[in-house]
Amino acid sequence: MTIPVETTNGVKRRDFLKVLGVTGAASTMVGCSTDQVEKLIPYVTSPDHTVPGVSNFYASTCRECAAGCGIIVTTRDGRAIKIEGNPDHPVNRGAVCARGQAALQGLYNPDRFRGPMQRQNGTLVPITWDQAIDALHKGVDTAMKSGKAKNAVFINQHEQGLLHTFLDEWLALRGMPAHISYDAEAPFATVAANRAVYGVSWPKLDFGAAKVIVSFAADFLDGWGLPVPQQLDFAEARGRIEGAPRLIYIGPRRPLTGLNADQWIPAAPGTAGSIAKMLAGKMSAADAAAATDIPVKILEGLQKEIASAKPSLLVAGGTGPRALDLATEVNQLNKALGNVGVTIKPAESYGAWEGVVPPAVLNDVVAAMEAGEVPALFIRGANPVYSTPTGLGFAKAAEKVPFKVSFSTVPDETTALCDLILPDHHALESWGIAEPVQGTLGLQQPAMDPVFNTRATADVLLASLKPAPCFACPENPAEAKQHASDVSKFPPDYRGVVAKHLGGNGNLQNALPTGMLAGSLPRRTAPVAKIMKPAIVGEQNGDYYLATYWNLLMGDGRGANKPWLQELPDPVTKICWQTVVEMHPETAKKLSVEAGDHVTVKTVAGTVTAPAFLYIGVRPDTIAVMVGRGQTAAGRYATGTGHNAWSLLPASNDQAGGYQLVGVRCTVAKADGHTPIVTTEGSGRQHGRKIARAQTIEQFRAGETDHPHTFIGQAPTEFLPGLRAPVANDAQGELGDPKSAQRGEYDPNHPSGRAKRRWAMTIDLAKCTGCSACVTACYAENNIPTVGAEWQGPQLFADRKFPGANITRSREMAWLRLERYYEMDREYKDATWDPAHHPEVRVIPMMCQHCGNAPCEPVCPVYATYHTPDGLNVQVYNRCVGTRYCSNNCPYKVRYYNWFGYGEVDRAQYAFPEPLHWQLNPDVTVRAKGIMEKCSFCVQRIRDAETLAKVQNREIQGDEFTTACAQACPSRAILFGDAADENWSVTKLIEDRRAYHVFEELNTYTAVVYLKKINHPAPAGATA
Amino acid sequence: MATIAYEPRRPNIASANVQLPAVPDYEHVDDAIIATLKPTKAWFAMLMTAIAALGLGVAAFLYQVHQGLGVAGYNPPVMWGVYIITFVFWVGIGHAGTLISAILFLFRAGFRTTIYRCAEAMTVFAVMTAGLFPIIHLGRPWKFFWLIPYPNWRLLWPQFKSPLVWDVFAILTYLTISSTFLYVGLIPDIATLRDRETNPVRKRILALLSFGWRNTEREWRHFARAYLFLAAVSTPLVLSVHSVVSFDFAMALTPGWHTTIFPPYFVAGAIFSGIGMVFTIIIPIRKYFKLQHFVTINHLDAAAKLCLATSMIVGCAYLIEFFIAWYGGVQVEQDFFWNRVFGQWWWAAWIMITCNMILPLTLFSQKLRRNPAWLFILSIFINIGMWFERFVIVVPSLSHEFEPWMWTTYAPTWVDYSILIGSFGWFFMWFLLFVRQLPVIALTEVKEIVPPRLKHAHAHTPANAEDFEPEMPGDR
Repeated sequence: MTIPVETTNGVKRRDFLKVLGVTGAASTMVGCSTDQVEKLIPYVTSPDHTVPGVSNFYASTCRECAAGCGIIVTTRDGRAIKIEGNPDHPVNRGAVCARGQAALQGLYNPDRFRGPMQRQNGTLVPITWDQAIDALHKGVDTAMKSGKAKNAVFINQHEQGLLHTFLDEWLALRGMPAHISYDAEAPFATVAANRAVYGVSWPKLDFGAAKVIVSFAADFLDGWGLPVPQQLDFAEARGRIEGAPRLIYIGPRRPLTGLNADQWIPAAPGTAGSIAKMLAGKMSAADAAAATDIPVKILEGLQKEIASAKPSLLVAGGTGPRALDLATEVNQLNKALGNVGVTIKPAESYGAWEGVVPPAVLNDVVAAMEAGEVPALFIRGANPVYSTPTGLGFAKAAEKVPFKVSFSTVPDETTALCDLILPDHHALESWGIAEPVQGTLGLQQPAMDPVFNTRATADVLLASLKPAPCFACPENPAEAKQHASDVSKFPPDYRGVVAKHLGGNGNLQNALPTGMLAGSLPRRTAPVAKIMKPAIVGEQNGDYYLATYWNLLMGDGRGANKPWLQELPDPVTKICWQTVVEMHPETAKKLSVEAGDHVTVKTVAGTVTAPAFLYIGVRPDTIAVMVGRGQTAAGRYATGTGHNAWSLLPASNDQAGGYQLVGVRCTVAKADGHTPIVTTEGSGRQHGRKIARAQTIEQFRAGETDHPHTFIGQAPTEFLPGLRAPVANDAQGELGDPKSAQRGEYDPNHPSGRAKRRWAMTIDLAKCTGCSACVTACYAENNIPTVGAEWQGPQLFADRKFPGANITRSREMAWLRLERYYEMDREYKDATWDPAHHPEVRVIPMMCQHCGNAPCEPVCPVYATYHTPDGLNVQVYNRCVGTRYCSNNCPYKVRYYNWFGYGEVDRAQYAFPEPLHWQLNPDVTVRAKGIMEKCSFCVQRIRDAETLAKVQNREIQGDEFTTACAQACPSRAILFGDAADENWSVTKLIEDRRAYHVFEELNTYTAVVYLKKINHPAPAGATA
Repeated sequence: MATIAYEPRRPNIASANVQLPAVPDYEHVDDAIIATLKPTKAWFAMLMTAIAALGLGVAAFLYQVHQGLGVAGYNPPVMWGVYIITFVFWVGIGHAGTLISAILFLFRAGFRTTIYRCAEAMTVFAVMTAGLFPIIHLGRPWKFFWLIPYPNWRLLWPQFKSPLVWDVFAILTYLTISSTFLYVGLIPDIATLRDRETNPVRKRILALLSFGWRNTEREWRHFARAYLFLAAVSTPLVLSVHSVVSFDFAMALTPGWHTTIFPPYFVAGAIFSGIGMVFTIIIPIRKYFKLQHFVTINHLDAAAKLCLATSMIVGCAYLIEFFIAWYGGVQVEQDFFWNRVFGQWWWAAWIMITCNMILPLTLFSQKLRRNPAWLFILSIFINIGMWFERFVIVVPSLSHEFEPWMWTTYAPTWVDYSILIGSFGWFFMWFLLFVRQLPVIALTEVKEIVPPRLKHAHAHTPANAEDFEPEMPGDR
């Protein structure tokens, strides 16, 4: 019973609230619109550990190639913004390559599938996950009922982990065969030979223990094997100077490893095996010389050197028709030379290629698909329609499969054929596990919530099991029960699968912060492949050998839709956004072709017409083309960029079942048209400028030095300590004048203490291989726009309508660039071929040198560039009016100008289309149109460290933090620190005998100190 | 009033005589020169062409502001291109005016009398044109005022060590002084116009502009003094402005720029190009308005000698640059000069050398010096050559600096060309408007060298006075 309450006049509180509620609801209704509501402040109550403006770090595993490097993902306010190496990880020890860093552009790829899709009337339309799982269930059901389930094909991009096992279990439950773990990039011949000779798929290669390294067409610094650990070991060994190994590269084309080699032996394509035989004593040097087209003296020298220099390290990585013979011969040679256990350590094997299936299995798959025997095709990650030789005919065969499902995250040529798209999470959004090194597990955890409406493939597959009763058993309760019991064996989701393997969620939780755990995963035996006969040289027509290859950036095509990787020049050719036909200048002369003229390359499988590029590092009888570009349906950056070299390859395998990339015969003819070469290279020679300096090891031993610390007209070091570099106080006016009474922060006694520091950098050219991972790190850290996409080019110019147009006008924005100089005395076009002599190559990273006496500073009329008390040459973007005088006056040419509004959403040139801009570093300004920018020595990191030290009431520790380039560098060639504080490692290297400044004659007093490269010429007796 | 065609009674002879034998009297001076103020169809056509060209330039500039400087042909590290070239070109043009009106005035060089007004107007308009280019070339032109030291609460000042800030001062000073100088010289002439004007509104305006000039002795005395002082003030500016402009280059350490020869070299080049432009303008005017007896062959001859002299200074500077590059022994500098003349930029360098060094040597011939048609043709070559001189200074240096990896090339785009054309439209628009509003030859100063008319029957004439009303004025 209610007690009547006397009502009073006026509005009661409750009534007021009611009215308020209705009004609020009404206004909410009115407020509803189709516009996306954006959250300016992400959280009202923030999740644990999430503080706005403070980064969180997640240890995970990189899935960009099979190596399984440990990464640390920086997230800010729930968004992953940077990938760095995990310093404790046994594979990459803190380094990370360009491709690994560009995983972020896969995560935020603007072309990623937003959610599940189904093909209806020929076009893909979005559907819900319920519909998608239903469709998958029905499709699998139909395939089962067709009775051909045993022919179904599941192609998964090869990766280490438990997904292998899970997929096979799931397929088995459906009566389907085990899946194919596909990786076009895997070096199958080497893996097969390793298994045969060493008993493991990939032993640790200890470059440091060897006195001489011979690479038989194994580009171990760029696209072959596990680039990061190989590079770490190699660079570390070379950085020792005394006792550093000599490197000899054998192969028809000089790739990055060849550029770093002290000697290049350009054996004819597919003939490196003869050299191996010669070294094994199975062939005379004269015969080997005849087979390889190399002067016999060189081969005899090699023979002597291998015989005397012990231990040595021989690695084989051919992709020719007899690659397995070569690899086996080389491995046995290693055994005979006693290198196994010394430089080759099978006991410490890598797990990268465990379970990978040779692409030759696709031969059977294609045949079955052609015959209409395959009821269902599942593909996850791999893109076999593009990344298989066109001669194989995968695309045409796949069209005959009635049910094609893709679990890929991004559209590509394969998903363009599929009926059902069930996009998986990106690796940075998913759980996983790997065994990169035997006995150590690498954990993969989501660094952020899924960007799009995606679902883990394992979860999708599990969900598709649920709608029981199943296809085969509605009438049979026993079978239905069995099915239910089978299904119940699966954990509820893939995270559960991982946790189960690690012994429960608790263990997983504890191991996550380090990203590692001791343990091993079940191994999987690969299905046996039927191997196609290789296209043996001599059985085909054509004047030239074709040598196709991939680099680390584009890979087999998987990097092509990431603008960072497209924009990053190939470390060897320095070409970006373009596919070129590499030929020796002599070949070009014969064909009367100049750089950029179109040429048509024709093989039995197909033709490619692309601009010619004169490359002195390729034999005159060989034409080299890089695969990985020229895609037709792989997103906005990849589609139509470059040409598809896969279309030149016939369906032929080497003996191990890998693709035969080298040794197919081709003809080359001049075609109509000319496209400027999209390159960042101005002149590839130093013209005596002494920018990248080198010494031979003998000169180093003799103590030759350039005296880096004695400057003409040395001024007193009253300002900016460190580097013993006097600094003209020009750009600070009153504040910089030591005699001034008002010096503010420029006073060393100022509480900020900044004037006590001088930030500096050392770059060891003996270690730097030119891999360019630092460049991508810089792009990621500093929000550098990519400018090469076709629509970003200068508008309204008919002659500049191609990808990379801006770069043909040198408008790339790379704050840090890798210069690659050939030590030769003539232009490329005048180079002649001599198999015995090849120019030495030097690479040098060039960024703002943060001159103590910076030429750019006094010329800026508005003080947009000035000197900080701690020695940085900084650029104030908001103050810059864009006179560009600073760039004119910079001898190093490291200032970059925003010609267009790359950061403005509404412009054609916008460099960060949704959601790529999620990656942008909130600590760094996105620069506006019309202003100058340049390397800042990652000033945001310096200030961050200063703030942290201040908050913790301490001084900055030595080597406490570093710049993005130094962090990523897989050669560990870059070192950053305070040159005025002995606690930092740079202070030691600055004192090194090899240290020098570039253009020190200009009295710029740079803060970047280079250490000379050391060359190791052939020992006496062995001629080069 | 019909133009009175006074044919010279006898041909001009080669001499330093700068008198005007065919100008009989003051009335003729006024009549013949003020006749130029009458609009004609050809004038309208030219003005419209100039405005159309300006419109093209403005449109291209707005497009560039909207799109970004990337639409111009910049090819880093060639960060300066057509705009800076054209800036220096117009500043150079703007030099001859003050040289002719001020320095030659102080040196009492009589041949300046009939061409100085034209040259001075040209100077003002050329500097007005030049002043636009540093702004056009900015990445953020709407922020150009940051180069000016204006008081602000952030206490931000420009960097006074930057030559670009010096430029701001140099050019603004030069513009102020040269326009003042032009205006002061115009005052008596405006008074003449006022007296002849029938339209009351225009008469009022002209009266204001002439400061109520009454032709009194005192006014003349003040006028003459003021003119002399202004000439003295302007004289150092002639040398300083282009020296400062040359510092834009000479203060940088870019090879080919970093030379001490630049200030005198630039000043000589500026005078050279200015005289070229004077020829380009005055020869058609003199022909079109039939003023050959004012701007006589003798005047042109004398100016041509100045042209020849400056050409040789410039040519000498070119050669000295080479010599120093070789003698200095700096490899970067040597590479650069080789590349400039025999490498990548040979065509531009040889256009420059041909137009500025070789063709002006024809002026050693008296016949050609006294041939207005050849002088006009030559002046066009000089204009082209001097534009290319600046091209050769700006572009090859930037494209071939210290870092071989960053060696590039450069090609302007339609935006660059449109703005270049627009600058000519802007310049000629002002000049054409000037021609129709104010006398292109200084009435006052011409009258100074025309003997006054004296009457026979003048009461005050002494008995022994010569009967002086010469048949040919000035021919005494």
